[in-house]
Amino acid sequence: MNDAVHTPASKPKADSRIAAPRLNVVRFELDCGAVLLVDQRPGASVTAIKLHLKGGHSLDPAGLEGLASLTGSLLDQGTKSRTEEQIAEVLEPKGGGIRGDANGLSGSIAGDAWKQLAGLIAEAVCEPSFPKDKFARQKERLLDRLLIERDDHRTQAGRLFRRMVYGKHWMGRAVYGSLESVVRITRKDVVAFHAKNWCPTRAAIAVCGDVDPETVRRFFNRRFKAWTSKRKLERADIRFPERASRCEAFYAKRQQVHVYLGHLGITRDNPHYSALVVMDHILGTGPGFSNRISRKLRDEQGLAYTVHADVHSSAGVFPGMFTAYIGTSPEHIERATHGFLEEMKRIRDDLVEEHELELAVNYLLGSYALGYERASRRANFMISAERFGLPPNYLESLPDKFAAVTAHDVREAARACLFPDKPCFAVAGPVRKRDVEAIFAKLLGKQGSKRNRTTKARD
Amino acid sequence: MRGPRKPRAQWRKAPSTLTLGGASVSESRLRNGLRVIVAERHTDPVVASLLMYKVGSRYESEVEAGVSHFLEHMMFKGTPSIGKGEVDRITTELGGHNNAFTSYDHTGYWFEMASDRWEGVLGIEADRMQNLELDPREFDSERNVVLEELAMSEDDPWRVLTQKVQTAMFPRHSYRWPVIGYPDTLVPLTVEDMRRHYERFYHPSNATLVISGDVKKRAALAAARKHFGEIPAGEEVTRRPYGSFLEPDGETRLNMSWEDAAKRLCISWPTNSVCTDDDYTLDLVTTLLAQGRNSRLQRRLVLDEGLATSISISNECWVDGGSFWILAECSQGTAPERLEQAIEEELRRLATEKVPAAELKRARSILLASEAYDCETVSDLGDEIAEFAIDADWRLAFDGGARHALVTSARIKECVQRLLSPERRVVGWCLPR
Repeated sequence: MNDAVHTPASKPKADSRIAAPRLNVVRFELDCGAVLLVDQRPGASVTAIKLHLKGGHSLDPAGLEGLASLTGSLLDQGTKSRTEEQIAEVLEPKGGGIRGDANGLSGSIAGDAWKQLAGLIAEAVCEPSFPKDKFARQKERLLDRLLIERDDHRTQAGRLFRRMVYGKHWMGRAVYGSLESVVRITRKDVVAFHAKNWCPTRAAIAVCGDVDPETVRRFFNRRFKAWTSKRKLERADIRFPERASRCEAFYAKRQQVHVYLGHLGITRDNPHYSALVVMDHILGTGPGFSNRISRKLRDEQGLAYTVHADVHSSAGVFPGMFTAYIGTSPEHIERATHGFLEEMKRIRDDLVEEHELELAVNYLLGSYALGYERASRRANFMISAERFGLPPNYLESLPDKFAAVTAHDVREAARACLFPDKPCFAVAGPVRKRDVEAIFAKLLGKQGSKRNRTTKARD
Repeated sequence: MRGPRKPRAQWRKAPSTLTLGGASVSESRLRNGLRVIVAERHTDPVVASLLMYKVGSRYESEVEAGVSHFLEHMMFKGTPSIGKGEVDRITTELGGHNNAFTSYDHTGYWFEMASDRWEGVLGIEADRMQNLELDPREFDSERNVVLEELAMSEDDPWRVLTQKVQTAMFPRHSYRWPVIGYPDTLVPLTVEDMRRHYERFYHPSNATLVISGDVKKRAALAAARKHFGEIPAGEEVTRRPYGSFLEPDGETRLNMSWEDAAKRLCISWPTNSVCTDDDYTLDLVTTLLAQGRNSRLQRRLVLDEGLATSISISNECWVDGGSFWILAECSQGTAPERLEQAIEEELRRLATEKVPAAELKRARSILLASEAYDCETVSDLGDEIAEFAIDADWRLAFDGGARHALVTSARIKECVQRLLSPERRVVGWCLPR
């Protein structure tokens, strides 16, 4: 173990800080019970609206997995007063559109036509008609997609990995469901799911554009008058398999293998969150070759075009995953995986170098505010802030949090949240499962893998 | 290092200024030929810089296919003064982002930074424009990365299919090979080959620098002059693209198979160069056929008749010519011929019937509205201006729909008849193995 660096990291350069993005968020509670967040952005050429609904695919009934997603995707396919064609006729000439999924609806529109977008979102939420022909067509398309994905090795590697990490928990399932479950879903199921789960008390709406917050509030209060259901959200249990080494493989005759390695990750309220963001940048997400894994596996060894690793980006209300990914040639699986495990161990065992810490912190101080030019990004941030209970001054406070992270903090966070001795390992490509298992066993220095067991999630 | 000639950095002429995408845009040129376009917009404290070189696979011979793209990778591998990994380290230190891309006609290097620190990136660009090291060990290692990138694309059935169609469509022109090249051309490539390519194309008179965002024009020009002003102009690029276009002498059909259940269709026609009348007309054709749910092919094929699960159309116009693409995924219950026939019917309708005024108006509105998205961020803005600048004329970017407004129903009819006829197309199918 290298404890050479005992002192906190050198202070980031004073000029590395960037002014926090100016989000003028006004929060309202609408009469229907939904939360409304408005970011007034004078001169914006685009208005984005995002309606987030709590629950998502956790609410899929057993055997009907994919129902939440199918329901969301059908909301803009017709309302009691408009056909899908009429909705498109209003929005498309203004560069607008709406898209629904398991977690809500979002849309954007160019120019000053936000009321048309907002009005149609409200209409789609409150009085969707789920036309029979549209339901049949959408279901058919989804089944086609699932059929094709059955042979897509990257998709399958991702699914195997997720299933090993989350086990039978709903987070281990594909949001779209499976061929077997989707085929069972009827229009009646969709109508009932919408009536039961699309409740205003579960909704948060974010609007970003050249809009007046008070006008938006009045507008939505009028449009959501009839949206009254107040059913409480009941979630399934949140038990996940115990962290343990597991291995799966999917054979496909392709050029490359897709390798996923990792384990259960963290929730957004993890006390180490800021240190983990810094750790991720040093370990596997820093731009270009500034992170250890890209530098080693791509730049020095030339093993891959795409390689990365991180734990913080998937953190949510429920735990995300620590995921290390590489797309490489089959003969490089062992080297690549060895590289992942070695770097996971190194960042747990040794203090990061002072210059690495300084670089990562400076990057975060200078870059965290970039990307807020896009209206949809600002709307997404408002929803995340609401969901995770971030304080109003969150963006302003971030620089201090990043700047305060020390090498010891990074090591402590890595020790608390990285488990190189208990990874899940999914490989898809031109390689047989027995070969994958042999590599995995060799790397872990043991034979076989533990069976799934369950443990209570931290939250 | 380049030759000793060091021109005095002065601006040749007073730039003209236009308002595009909410920015005040002007062009200047250093004496060494470097064109500098500044797009000043102060909405957010962000600046993007995009340095474009007029080089891509169009300028390669077939035996060196992929050298432009490989060189783009090597541009991050260091110079004597900014060592290997330093481009990323400096970018990271400054809290910015960088990337690069290569196309048929140009290669671009992009940075995005907070507006109080953007200038440093010009030092990096100026240095690697002149002093790229091309260390043999790095060269070999990076070649492996490029081969992995190639392997990745060969695992994507759409990429394989569209490349086969592209190759069949341009049998005599350098647009026929993939920008990334082939293993057969990448493996034998030497450092010396790459150095020759670099020296031929990487100099001020073959480059355009676009600086967009929260920056004052005067400061941007001063910075450009400071970093690039002393670089020798370099020889004018006279190398012509390899090959020529041939008018198709009939339909070409090709088939491939893949180990999945999808039936993928790709139809493409050779068309015309960027910013020609045909280019603008085909934008309208694209929009009428596939932009939005009420476009003809989306409505009929995907939403109403369910013949396809998805359809997309693109109008790709390059410097020497262009191509018009229809990509569709046939739904499981549909025979491939049925889908193809329906597409042909809709094209014939465009070729023979007048487009109703309301439909044409809708298409023009959609294209106009897309400008709002194309300039939403300063990087979007810079990218749009730079692409127009390097391939045609930046003044044509964000024209407020002026050129699309000139496209009439009669012109659409004529263009579809002339360019998108069955005799000129290449049809590719990728079917389950």
